[in-house]
Amino acid sequence: MGQQVGSALAESMHRVMVKLVSFLPGLLALLIGIVVLTALGALLAVAIRRILLAARFDERFGRTQSATVADIAPAHSPTLLISRVAFWACVVLGVVIGISAFDASYPGGTEITTILIPYLTHSIGAVFILLIGTVLARFLSRSVLIGAVNLQMQYARFLSLGVKWLVLVLTAAMVLDHLEIGGSIVALAFGILFGGIVLTLSLAIGLGSRDLVSRSLEKNVDPAADRPRFDDIPPPATKSRESLRHF
Amino acid sequence: MATATTLAETTHQPGSSPSGLLVVLTPLPPEALEHTISNLAAAFEGIPLQVASPDPLPPVVSESPEFHAFTYTPAAPTPGGWLLTAADFLNSYKLLQEHGAQCCLLLGPEAQSIAPGALSSLGAAVLSGSADLAVPRYSLGPRDGLVNSAILYPATRAIFGTRARYPLAIDLGLSRKMAERLASAAQKFTAAGQNAGLLWPVSDAAVAGMSIVQVEFGSRALPPPDSMDLNTILAQVAGSLFADVESKAAFWQRARLTSSAKPAAFSEEEISRPELPDIQPMLESFRLAYSNLHEIWSLVLPPNSLLGLKKLSQMPPASFRMPDALWARIVYDFILAYRLRTINRGHLMGALTPLYLAWVASHLRLSSGTGQDGPAAESHIEAMAAVFEADKPYLVSRWRWPDRFNP
Repeated sequence: MGQQVGSALAESMHRVMVKLVSFLPGLLALLIGIVVLTALGALLAVAIRRILLAARFDERFGRTQSATVADIAPAHSPTLLISRVAFWACVVLGVVIGISAFDASYPGGTEITTILIPYLTHSIGAVFILLIGTVLARFLSRSVLIGAVNLQMQYARFLSLGVKWLVLVLTAAMVLDHLEIGGSIVALAFGILFGGIVLTLSLAIGLGSRDLVSRSLEKNVDPAADRPRFDDIPPPATKSRESLRHF
Repeated sequence: MATATTLAETTHQPGSSPSGLLVVLTPLPPEALEHTISNLAAAFEGIPLQVASPDPLPPVVSESPEFHAFTYTPAAPTPGGWLLTAADFLNSYKLLQEHGAQCCLLLGPEAQSIAPGALSSLGAAVLSGSADLAVPRYSLGPRDGLVNSAILYPATRAIFGTRARYPLAIDLGLSRKMAERLASAAQKFTAAGQNAGLLWPVSDAAVAGMSIVQVEFGSRALPPPDSMDLNTILAQVAGSLFADVESKAAFWQRARLTSSAKPAAFSEEEISRPELPDIQPMLESFRLAYSNLHEIWSLVLPPNSLLGLKKLSQMPPASFRMPDALWARIVYDFILAYRLRTINRGHLMGALTPLYLAWVASHLRLSSGTGQDGPAAESHIEAMAAVFEADKPYLVSRWRWPDRFNP
């Protein structure tokens, strides 16, 4: 009995070791592909930057173009934009070559090829979604915060946080769905969380602007409300503010 | 008797030397156009004058044989905004070339409100050849043109070394050379399809080493902005100025204030102390922003400025005053952040609005009847512009070495 257990364990270990040994060359190829292409990209970026700086590309470009490409370039420099694009293009190429090499090191139909390769590509997609979602959440939350503050909304920060978490929750759900983790639980949890945030925001805004809505309704229902009331008459101060000319 | 003619009829013969004055008008309603033309005829009596308007002219425009008015079709479609745009500068130069005028006047919207005397002074400045660019100095009340007083004037004066009190392009007198330079600058915008792009003729003239003259213009009905939303207009105008500062960095880092320029005398309206308007909503807006936008401001402003803003947020309305040095630093730091793209440019300009409102509140309190201890509006603006000039080394230093620590 003990001999059989020992033999089963030894065989299992042997199988795992064989798989691990056959797995390593592919992994090494993947890493080498990424590292080599990244190094190549860095070299290429440096070379491009030096050449373009020597050729005074930014100045020449600025003379012919007004604000189109230069506007989206980091630090307003088309040279930096081109060199960074070249670098990241090499990194992406390295990842693609690495995955292809990893895939090629296994015959089709093996467990690793059918499970790990799609999962690896999905993971890269998930990382992209996470990055975009995080950037978008920050951008939208700042937009809402600044816009709400300039509209003098007292609950500006709350609104901005709500928008930020809406986008982050949506991103998290998309990432988990992309990685096929959690299945229907993620969709359910996302629905509850998203709905909860929207309901909270609606309640907050609704309660915050209760007076405004009730005044508006009163005006529509009761024609007498059209007559000026003491609390409807703007104070003289408002009038004097309107007399300011900013331009 | 001169009547309306078409563009082809008045085309300049090549070879003949340019002479006379060309006045280019922006779209005006018929009555306003008639009034403007009669003002022009009165202002330039006996001087060869051509008036170009994009609108159909009234049947009889002037009895003078020296006066010639015609309708033109804009080469670049004009968006018809409240300021002169890139398309206006391009069209003017083309007209100047075609009609062989020596210099030109560009009159913005609401031109009917300009007095003949003011038109005559503006025209004389460029006709005499003493100036390449003539800019008007409008008599504004203490509550008018506040963005101009807070940002545009002091920043332009300190950075480009010119004393033009109203750098926004509404009415201008241009020599042929200056018109050509502005047209080439405008072409960059129109080529990119941005016909409504704003140009800054004062900084362009300073960079090109052209002479600038400021002409007392008296009062004029300033055209209202396209949008009534302060955030939008402030972002558009201040953003355009910041972009202009960025594009001319090579020049202004070594520019000094022109010694020949002398400050203009203040009008009665400018030295008067009006009653203090209600500044409470502006203060509330600033305080709300301080509690919410602190995180965003901390990305743009150094700790010293943030400390200044903290003190300001705790000041009672009766003694609310934003120090000029603090405001100058804020504007410079926003220019730097615009250049470095520290945060999204739309967000940056949005974050400037509450700070600007705090400045307005402080300025109004200082220049009102209650602020007897402080200077009147115009004196305060001049003093503040001097602070901007004194603090320019900070901008230059941080422009060159942005990562250096600045308390």
